[in-house]
Amino acid sequence: MTPRVGVPGRSWVIAAGLACLVVAVPVAVIFSSVFRSSGGEWQHLSETLLPTYVFNTAVLAAGVSFLAGVVGVSTAWILTNYRFPGARILGWAQLLPLSVPAYLSAYAMSDLLQFSGPVQGWLRSSFDLTAGDYWFPEIRSLGGAIYVLSFALYPYVYFAARMAFQEQSRALLEAGRMLGRGPFATFWSVALPLARPAIVGGLMLVMMETVADFGAVDHLAVDTFATGIYRTRFALESPIAASQLSAMLLSSLFLLVGLEWCLRRRRRYHRTGNRGNRSEGGILGPVGSVMAFIACAVPVIFGFAVPSGRLLQLAIGRGDTRSGEMLAGIAFDTIWLALSASVIAVFLAVIIGYAARIRRGLRTSAPAAIARAGYAIPGPVIALGLLIPLGWIDHRINDGWTMAFGDEWRPGLILTGSVAAMLIGYQTRFLAVSLSFVQSGFQRIHRNLDDAARTLGSGPGRSLLAVHIPLLRRSMLIAGLVVFVDVAKELPMTLMLRPFNFDTLAIRVYELASDERLEEASTAAIMIVVIGMIPAWILVGQLESSTSSHREIES
Amino acid sequence: MTTSLPQYDPPSVLEITDLEFRYAGGPPVIEGCHLTVRSGEVHCLLGCSGGGKTTLLRLIAGLEQAKSGTIHVADFLVEGPGVHQPPERRSVGMVFQDFALFPNRSVRENVLFGIRGVARKDRVTRAEEHLDRVGMLEYASRMPHTLSGGQQQRVAIARALVRRPRVMLLDESFSSLDTATRIEVRAETVRLLREAEVATVMVTHDPVEADAVGDRVSWLDACCRGGDADPEACVRR
Repeated sequence: MTPRVGVPGRSWVIAAGLACLVVAVPVAVIFSSVFRSSGGEWQHLSETLLPTYVFNTAVLAAGVSFLAGVVGVSTAWILTNYRFPGARILGWAQLLPLSVPAYLSAYAMSDLLQFSGPVQGWLRSSFDLTAGDYWFPEIRSLGGAIYVLSFALYPYVYFAARMAFQEQSRALLEAGRMLGRGPFATFWSVALPLARPAIVGGLMLVMMETVADFGAVDHLAVDTFATGIYRTRFALESPIAASQLSAMLLSSLFLLVGLEWCLRRRRRYHRTGNRGNRSEGGILGPVGSVMAFIACAVPVIFGFAVPSGRLLQLAIGRGDTRSGEMLAGIAFDTIWLALSASVIAVFLAVIIGYAARIRRGLRTSAPAAIARAGYAIPGPVIALGLLIPLGWIDHRINDGWTMAFGDEWRPGLILTGSVAAMLIGYQTRFLAVSLSFVQSGFQRIHRNLDDAARTLGSGPGRSLLAVHIPLLRRSMLIAGLVVFVDVAKELPMTLMLRPFNFDTLAIRVYELASDERLEEASTAAIMIVVIGMIPAWILVGQLESSTSSHREIES
Repeated sequence: MTTSLPQYDPPSVLEITDLEFRYAGGPPVIEGCHLTVRSGEVHCLLGCSGGGKTTLLRLIAGLEQAKSGTIHVADFLVEGPGVHQPPERRSVGMVFQDFALFPNRSVRENVLFGIRGVARKDRVTRAEEHLDRVGMLEYASRMPHTLSGGQQQRVAIARALVRRPRVMLLDESFSSLDTATRIEVRAETVRLLREAEVATVMVTHDPVEADAVGDRVSWLDACCRGGDADPEACVRR
């Protein structure tokens, strides 16, 4: 036994620091572009398109947050507090819109509601109208985008609010009633303020998804930062101006995240009274039941039933004429790409989470915080932030090769010309997702088990393999599944980073839908919806277990 | 504040000199702590909650790093200026307040966890020998959550002893048991530890318990950190 000098767990700190580079490097690259000259393109942009980008993005984010917030909070309140026929099914059906990515919803809704679509066609033939005789809301507009994104994203608010309402003590609400407030006043003055931190958390997710959305706004012809960055990079061929746009967007996003973080720190409510002594909810009369049913069914119809029904109808009616072998190949590529990305994301999350567990302090909490910030970075921004450094590395490799072995053969673009760039990009954005599941899994393992393993002769490495990993299996599986689905339906980053001749289901849908060939796109789209049902199903399980544990305590 | 002890038979196994510990930016939790425990001896640490009892155990185990001072285990320097032996490389065993049995491993596998570098057959023999000594052999295939508190405690003792540590740390290890079980399991544990000639440091908040099992008792609290006292003096306090 020789005494050893050194800091315990240093290698884990270093590994965690390296892992968070996947987020830190693209951000650093984007911000460093601020100091470079784009040769007049920035000025041109700021005089022409920038005001439009700022206005559209801000109005879109505000509008979607408002609509998704109202819909999510009210459905959560009704379903937590009232009992009526169908309430249980509607409770989990609220999560179904999560399985339809916003861009698919945009394709389906614009197909239905555009001038040549079935709805307006039916109106014209039924009432013998012609173009110009009547007014119909234009789906390809800012309002249309707010409508589509709100009903695609409100489940995030619903889930956060529902979990918060379910945890509130019945005694608090009863106290409100005893002190002379009616049901609505109690909701407004007691329940809502208590649930506010959770609701704001859900709204932040909605806002980030809205700002990061590319597919829906692109199809609905709304110019936002996300589409602007894409066009500046590929249509204007100006990577520096695109990076500068990205830096502007990122600064405001990080400001927002920081603001929410500060507010949340100051407003942390501690539960008083017994946990989970929640009532089953009041039974509604016939009129109330019908109204509650309609209020909770409409969002599911708009967010899930109509878009996925239209896609299914198209897929069955005609579908992809080249489905079969080609689509199977694309599906296979999508699955192995998503699978590799999710395995890497879980692996990195375990390293970062474990380092933060065994060594507390800034050096281990910083990588975790950086990795979590990755989710706030929109896909096109990540792609841009990676293309520059990875392209640079690729060129250095080829220059070095030429110098060493001559230029008869070169290795080519190893990173940017292969799936490697995509796999790195997915980590930038989705490491946050797997980290949050893995860290909550770590939190459920009592620290005494770490200490017991250490005093029984296991170093940090063996403790992780022999004690933590077996106990983390469920969290790791869920983390992997959620990342898998996120990657499978990811659009803008894949579009910008994919090598030639590499298609995923999302790319196939995007390309066909851009050519107005939605009937053919529908087959791949339905495949994405089916894959997307996995996380909805996981969240249903969490809601159910939260509900049933409350019932057990009560009985 | 040291009571110097004769260094002859039985030899001192655990020696702590002038130990200091504080959390980053906080006041010292442990300051000027001296402690010597001989083999086969049970040394009880008494003190009010927040007095640093558990912290001292964690320092001895290597789960926390001291700011200054030294810890020797069986004449090896395990903690000192520029030296911090990780817990897995100290000959120190620990029984936690909630026993910390691995919930996903059977009783046998929990005990096997600590034995390494030996053929599987010998490991199992050794584990079962220790389970037999604490009277838990017939429960070897059970999972921890199916056992009572007293039974879990016995498994935790067997698991810690199977590594043949020179120092054993008991952190309020009997406080979660009912009175009758506590007295029985405590007597049994102390007998086992004395048999194995292990130097034991036991943390408790109960002066009667300290008096019942301790060869020596130290009082450790916010005003008086470290120092030795005889059991009687301590109970009177």
